[in-house]
Parts: sequence; C-alpha cells; structure tokens
Amino acid sequence: MLEQTPALQLRSLSITDGDIEHRKKTVGLDLDDITRIASIKEIVISRVDEYTDGFFRYLANLSEASALFTRREALEEAKGRKREHLVALVSGVYGRNYVEERIALGILYNKYGLETRVFLGGFHHLMKTIGSDIMLHYRSEPEKAFQIFLSLTKIGFFDISILVDVLVAERQLTIDLQQEAIRELSTPVLQIRERLLILPIIGTIDSQRAKQLTDDLLRAIRANRSKVVVMDITGVGAVDSKVANHLIQTVAAARLMGSSVIVTGLSANVAQALVGLGVDLSKLDTTGDLQAGLEQAEHMLGYRMVRANQALPQLQSA
Amino acid sequence: MSIPILKQGCVLIACVQAAATDQDLIQLKDELTDKVGQLRSRGVVIDVSTLDVMDSFATRTLRGIAQATKLRGAEVVIVGIQPDIAFAMVQLGLSLDGIATALDLEEGLELVSARMSEDVDNAT
Repeated sequence: MLEQTPALQLRSLSITDGDIEHRKKTVGLDLDDITRIASIKEIVISRVDEYTDGFFRYLANLSEASALFTRREALEEAKGRKREHLVALVSGVYGRNYVEERIALGILYNKYGLETRVFLGGFHHLMKTIGSDIMLHYRSEPEKAFQIFLSLTKIGFFDISILVDVLVAERQLTIDLQQEAIRELSTPVLQIRERLLILPIIGTIDSQRAKQLTDDLLRAIRANRSKVVVMDITGVGAVDSKVANHLIQTVAAARLMGSSVIVTGLSANVAQALVGLGVDLSKLDTTGDLQAGLEQAEHMLGYRMVRANQALPQLQSA
Repeated sequence: MSIPILKQGCVLIACVQAAATDQDLIQLKDELTDKVGQLRSRGVVIDVSTLDVMDSFATRTLRGIAQATKLRGAEVVIVGIQPDIAFAMVQLGLSLDGIATALDLEEGLELVSARMSEDVDNAT
C-alpha cells in the first residue's frame, strides 16, 4: 500500500513512504518514543530561537563553514529552516513532509559547501544543549529524562541518515554531470578536407569510451563519405594492451566500411610500450606526428600540397 | 528467393537483400563463380547495405566468394556495411581480411575500375 504512492524525488535522491518507515525502524523509533518527545514539546518550542542561534554560533566558530556566513540571504534561509526543523523535531509527526524538509535543508548545506563533519559537529552541539535542558527540567527524575533524551537521539539519527544520504547523492550527481560533460567534449570527429576525417583523442580510453568513439567514428564515416581517417592519440597518456586492442578494433571496423585509418601522435614512450606489450600492430598504419599523418592522408586521396607562389607559374605554363 | 546478379560492363553487381538466407548465399556463391567465367567479368561488387545481420556464416561465404572469383580472374569488393554491423563484426572477431571494402555501390564501382585500369597500365 505504502509503496504505491509515488517516490519522493528531489534531484538525485529518491525516497518512498516505505523507505521512511524502514528508516524509522532502523533507528528503533516507536510510538513510546513519540509520546516521550511530545512531553518536551513545550520546553523546546519556548526556547527554539535560542537553540537556532546557538547552532549557528557554534558553526560560525568553525572555519570550514565560512561560505555559509558570507552570504546573508543564505544564512537567513538556513536559520529559518533550522528553526522549522526544531519545531518539527518535537512535533511527533515524521512523515513525508518532514523528510522533504530535511532533504531541502541538506541540499542547501551542500550548495554552500558545508562539510558533513561540520554539520555533525553542529548537530551534536544542538542535541547536547537540548539534552542538558531536559535534564534540568526533570531534575528529580533522571531516568525519565534519559529516556526522553534517548528518544530524541533516535530522531536525531533519523535526520542524520537522511542528510548524509543527500550529501552523498548530491556529490554523486555532480560527478555524474562532470563525467557526462567530459564524455561529450572528448570525442569530436572533424572533417578537414573532403573525404578526410580527423579524430583527436584526449585522455584515457576505457571500454565504454572506446565503444562510443568507434560508434561516432563509423557514423561520421557514413555521413561524410570519408575515405581516410587520421586518428591522433597525442593526448592519450598511457597505452596498455586494452587500449591498443580498442584502437585495432576501431581501425578494423572503419576498414569494413571502406575507410583507411592512420594513427598518429605515437610518442616515444607509447611506441615502446606498444612494442613491449607484444600487440599485433601489423594492422595499424602509423606515423609519428599529426603532420606526417595528414600528409600521408592527402597523398592517399590524391592531393598535392604546393605553395601558392610556386603553383602559379606551373598553372600559367599549363 | 535468389539474390539478383546484374551485369554492368565487365562488372557484376549482386545486391544481398535483408531477408537473405544461408541457402541464398550459397546459391549466390555458385552463380557468381559460374557467371564470372561465362561473362568474362573483371570485378564483382556485392552490396550488403540492406543486410541487418552479418553472422559468421555470411562472413565465411563472402570470403569464399572472394577467393573463388579471384581464382577465375575477378576482384571482389564488398560495399555498404552499416556502422552497427561493422562494429559487431569486429567485436565478434569476424574479419574480411584481404577483401576490398567500400562505403557504397558508387565507391565500390570506382574502386573496381581503378583496379582494372591499374592492371591495364601494368600490362602495357
């Protein structure tokens, strides 16, 4: 039943109602805890501003959180949300809305580069302050005070579990986006002359990238009706047997489509590495640098490069 | 359904259709080797651009055709291998070593005529 409601999706993290119940079970939160927390509702709400200020004062003393304090509006927003958090913390209702607000706060912290350890420090400080107030209030019944504090801690850990997940998920999202951007940038296939393509490869080649590279190249061969491809690997740092294999596969696939591939930019190190690996290089047509590769490609296509001032008398004589 | 073979000057053109079976390919091999001698053809262009699967059998048969017609005096050019098929063939380790390939029919015919004029040059 619970699973049927749509998942709560905030950017990278998705949480269903079922997940929320499961998380509560993980920290051992039950009805008794909620009753105990309800009994301290008044104490916390009466001092909520004090707690909020205390939390941010504590953060202000830590140099890592400075980014949050240099922006006034961000700080105000964070304070407002923290205040709401404290009120919600003792409300006894920890459903979808509660989790949604925790995620929003986590995204805010992440935006201003608040480190997990800083947040944990601040949160611990907050719990300590509230805890000592509870102890003070139930001076005559220390056991009861401890029970209430334990219940409050469970909610605290429930919050932390969500927050840490948000921070991790946000970071993963950033990494994914960057990887995607690198992938898109790194495999251009360019036509530099009719029927001549150039494919500059920069960075490391893994299986996934090699596949995409081959795919892009084959499509470009078809689209541009190219006969010769110059593949420049000057920017490829290390070449191992796997990379060499990928290169050979790409060359073989291009040949099946009637196109010859010239591999250029093999540095001394790369050349020695390839020889050392004992890869079968008989199928690779290679030249030392891009210039030599282009000259060879032009020769294959029947072009002849001449200086303009040298070409002129020839034309006249013809 | 057999694969049609067209004569264009001294070149034979065979278009392998998408639904070609193994049997059709074997028949193509027989017919081509036959016709190359009969019509004194110098080149054979096999167009596989509509073919969406190229398995080991098809590759082996094509290689067989190339070798057989070569013995009877005609060069084979395989044209129109699609990007996906080219990549799949490489990954499966299927190769057409020693057989000329070209992008499409036009390129293939050009290649054949270039080879033929080379031969004429060599002869004179």
